[in-house]
Amino acid sequence: MSNSRRGFLRELASVVTAAKDAIEQPVVPDLTDAEVERYSRQLVLPEWGAAAQLALTEASVLVIGAGALGSPVGLYLAGAGVGRIGIVDDDAVELSNLHRQLLHFTPDLGTPKSESAAAKLRFLNPDVVIEPYQVRVAAANAPALVEGQDLVVDCSDSFATRYAVNAACCAARVPVVEAGVLGMAGMVMSIKPGRTACYRCAFPTAPADAPRCADAGVLGPAAGVIGSLQAMEALKLLTGVAPAIADGFLQVDLATAEFLRVRAARREDCPDCSPL
Amino acid sequence: MTWVRTKLELERMAAGEALVVRCRPGEALENVPRSARDAGHRVAVEGTTVRIVRA
Repeated sequence: MSNSRRGFLRELASVVTAAKDAIEQPVVPDLTDAEVERYSRQLVLPEWGAAAQLALTEASVLVIGAGALGSPVGLYLAGAGVGRIGIVDDDAVELSNLHRQLLHFTPDLGTPKSESAAAKLRFLNPDVVIEPYQVRVAAANAPALVEGQDLVVDCSDSFATRYAVNAACCAARVPVVEAGVLGMAGMVMSIKPGRTACYRCAFPTAPADAPRCADAGVLGPAAGVIGSLQAMEALKLLTGVAPAIADGFLQVDLATAEFLRVRAARREDCPDCSPL
Repeated sequence: MTWVRTKLELERMAAGEALVVRCRPGEALENVPRSARDAGHRVAVEGTTVRIVRA
């Protein structure tokens, strides 16, 4: 060993205040050995760490819709270790769902989607509390559903539901990730009520002739990409490890492989967020 | 896994504090010093002992 290296080691020895055996002892009492192993590939990220992981563990997230977007969202949030996930959907699994709704399999046909999704997510991560709700979200029940949540991820497939969720989240000041997908395109938007533009600020009125998924179609991977982006936004909002897509939305065209960030500002006359 | 545990322990320490990690020869002994240096910490290796000063 060179003299300079010996000197460095002596210097280090003089300032050692913590010495742990990483092989023989658990060194993070707040995370169990199983948690460290399960989440090791995200814990090792420079941006991530025990604080981010514990923030997820303590979080309660409501996922509205257990379909094409809700499937990747549920899978990634449960996999990442979100402590409590509510899954809201009033539909049952149909054969026409299976090409894009990854949480449901052929034997699940006829099963309520919320129950089918909950069963898979419990298999994926038994440490996560999964709460299925077989109800249809509307303006009347949205406030009660979002109350007390740390985050809502809106994976619904109608403008009416998105507006109802947006209004309820704004009123309760619960952050929400909105998204939509159709054909080979979609959009994603994160909303921090009272601080950033809300869904109605960006889209004041629904298009009069908005096509439905059943009529216009959707490719499975397109929904997978948009749902994955939603899950990414959710993790960013829950942990703060990176800035969310706020004050605007990300428009994604998977036919041309183009991602476009579109700016949107809060509207003074927004009926949902201007009172905040 | 050794580097993950080391990283988590370093997160709990203040800048300038030092951590001593005993690694098994092989992958851990290669990965821990490299990852610690990549993260910006000062590292010295003596045998199977890795000393890391938190950046």
